[in-house]
Amino acid sequence: MTDVVVETKNLKKFFGGGKSLVRAVNGVNLSVKKGEIFGFLGPNGAGKTTTLRILTTLLPLDSGKAIVAGIDVTKNPQEVRRRIGYVSQVGGSDRAALGIENLVLQGRLYGMGKKDATDRAKEIINAIDLKAFADRMVSTYSGGERRRLDVALGLMNRPSILFLDEPTTGLDPQNRAKLWEEIKALQKAGTTIFLTTHYLEEADILADRLSIMDYGKIVAEGTPRDLKKQIAGDVLSIGVENQDKNADELVSLLRQQKFVRDVTREDNNLRVYVQNGETALPEILRLLEQQKLVLKTVSLSVPSLDDVFLKKTGRSLRTGSEGGKE
Amino acid sequence: MKILNDIRLLYIRKVFETLRNPIFIFTSMMTPILYLALFSPLLKRLTGAPGFTSGDVLDVFVPGLLVIIAFLNGLFVGYGIIDEVRNGVIERFRVTPTSRFALLAGPVLRDLTNVIIIVSLFTLVAIPFGFHIHLIGFLILLLLVGMLIITTSSFGYAIGLILKDEDRLSPIVQGLNLPILLLSGMILPMSLAPKWLQIIAHFNPVFYCVEAGRLLAAGHIFERPVAEAFAFMIVLTVFTVSWATRTFNRAVS
Repeated sequence: MTDVVVETKNLKKFFGGGKSLVRAVNGVNLSVKKGEIFGFLGPNGAGKTTTLRILTTLLPLDSGKAIVAGIDVTKNPQEVRRRIGYVSQVGGSDRAALGIENLVLQGRLYGMGKKDATDRAKEIINAIDLKAFADRMVSTYSGGERRRLDVALGLMNRPSILFLDEPTTGLDPQNRAKLWEEIKALQKAGTTIFLTTHYLEEADILADRLSIMDYGKIVAEGTPRDLKKQIAGDVLSIGVENQDKNADELVSLLRQQKFVRDVTREDNNLRVYVQNGETALPEILRLLEQQKLVLKTVSLSVPSLDDVFLKKTGRSLRTGSEGGKE
Repeated sequence: MKILNDIRLLYIRKVFETLRNPIFIFTSMMTPILYLALFSPLLKRLTGAPGFTSGDVLDVFVPGLLVIIAFLNGLFVGYGIIDEVRNGVIERFRVTPTSRFALLAGPVLRDLTNVIIIVSLFTLVAIPFGFHIHLIGFLILLLLVGMLIITTSSFGYAIGLILKDEDRLSPIVQGLNLPILLLSGMILPMSLAPKWLQIIAHFNPVFYCVEAGRLLAAGHIFERPVAEAFAFMIVLTVFTVSWATRTFNRAVS
């Protein structure tokens, strides 16, 4: 087998037609290497889940090509299913059964015998520490417990690649951190992981490489480090009083300055990308005073993945991601 | 065979669900028992009236109830599958190499088992009230009732999968429930109805089952309405099951 576990070429999936045509996935090229955690980052509605559903055989593609675990998803979906694990956003564990029953049934649906499925279930229960609750009804689980069972279900068939769709959405910070550890541990044990998320921290912490998706297209790809390096230097975040006109002038004025690489604006928040924040700050304060703009807040930071996203799309992932629907 | 094994596994899963919540069997019997206790006394006066000429009124009324038990049990299964869709259970199964037909057949066979149990129990309850049963006829009636529950429960799961929302399912379930019930001749024989109503009733599969059910319960097996009901139901069952399987095969988001 090659080292590439997932490869897509010009993948397309449209919904609706005429004026309501939605180009959910519009020419996506992806490549996931064996053993890595691949992050798929983007706001809600970017097309991440649709892409994932194509790769996991849940949705037929319109055009292009998708190879998963060495198999063409269009030509032989049954064989793809045997080789992958998938944990959807909503989970998938059956509330009306015990945790262990969920696991054994999952194994048996992959064609394992009763003994094999039970052995494998016990192995997973030990590996990701479900012991405390595997013998309880799933309906009694906490959110964190249920999530871990969901992930365990995705691992029953020893998949070549595990797809995790927004795995930590809805978890509290403690459970989120714990799941991050589990995911890292799975990678150490040799599992390739394809993870979608709209949390920047999650992509930054977990992903070896990532692709950023927006409006059905890939807008950036690389390691988190390389992506952030594209925006070298410092970022000054400036909040001004609500005076739109002056803020516009300030943006164009800042762009004329030699020490400024780029400026992005969202309402009354400006992000100024500069070579050296400490020397740029006094200059900027002087400009603000000239424009008679009242400064509300100012902070200095190193670039984040949000800056990458902002630069590529003109929107902030942090503020634009809530309330959307995928 | 993988497919038979899949069906067995998914059937057992649903049977366990029922065993953990056996009260369902009894709540399913409440509607027919209420009909028997609170409605059938009204019919007693009609003994010998047109449409009721063949012996005790219960012999006319109870077979209809048996058919209705099957119909109602199947119609409401959509609510259960919406819950499973919402929790991602169906999607999880669809990402495994499980046969798509088994995803439908497992739960449908569980519903079939439940209905056979409920119908048999209810028949036993009805005998002391004065219901006469012809054993062979009853067993053939069970076949017919079985096809009806397979049809309505396949329809129920498929429509639940398509709509994915209780608020959208309810108008369809309620919209089908009452007209099919009224046009089945379960409450009063359709032979009492005016011609136009009888014509409409002939488009209702449940009507054929009720008509045939009355004959079968009395032991009249080789009758035209029985043959008609079987012909109608075999076609309808094959059609509904294949349509529902296709629905499970298609994308469900």
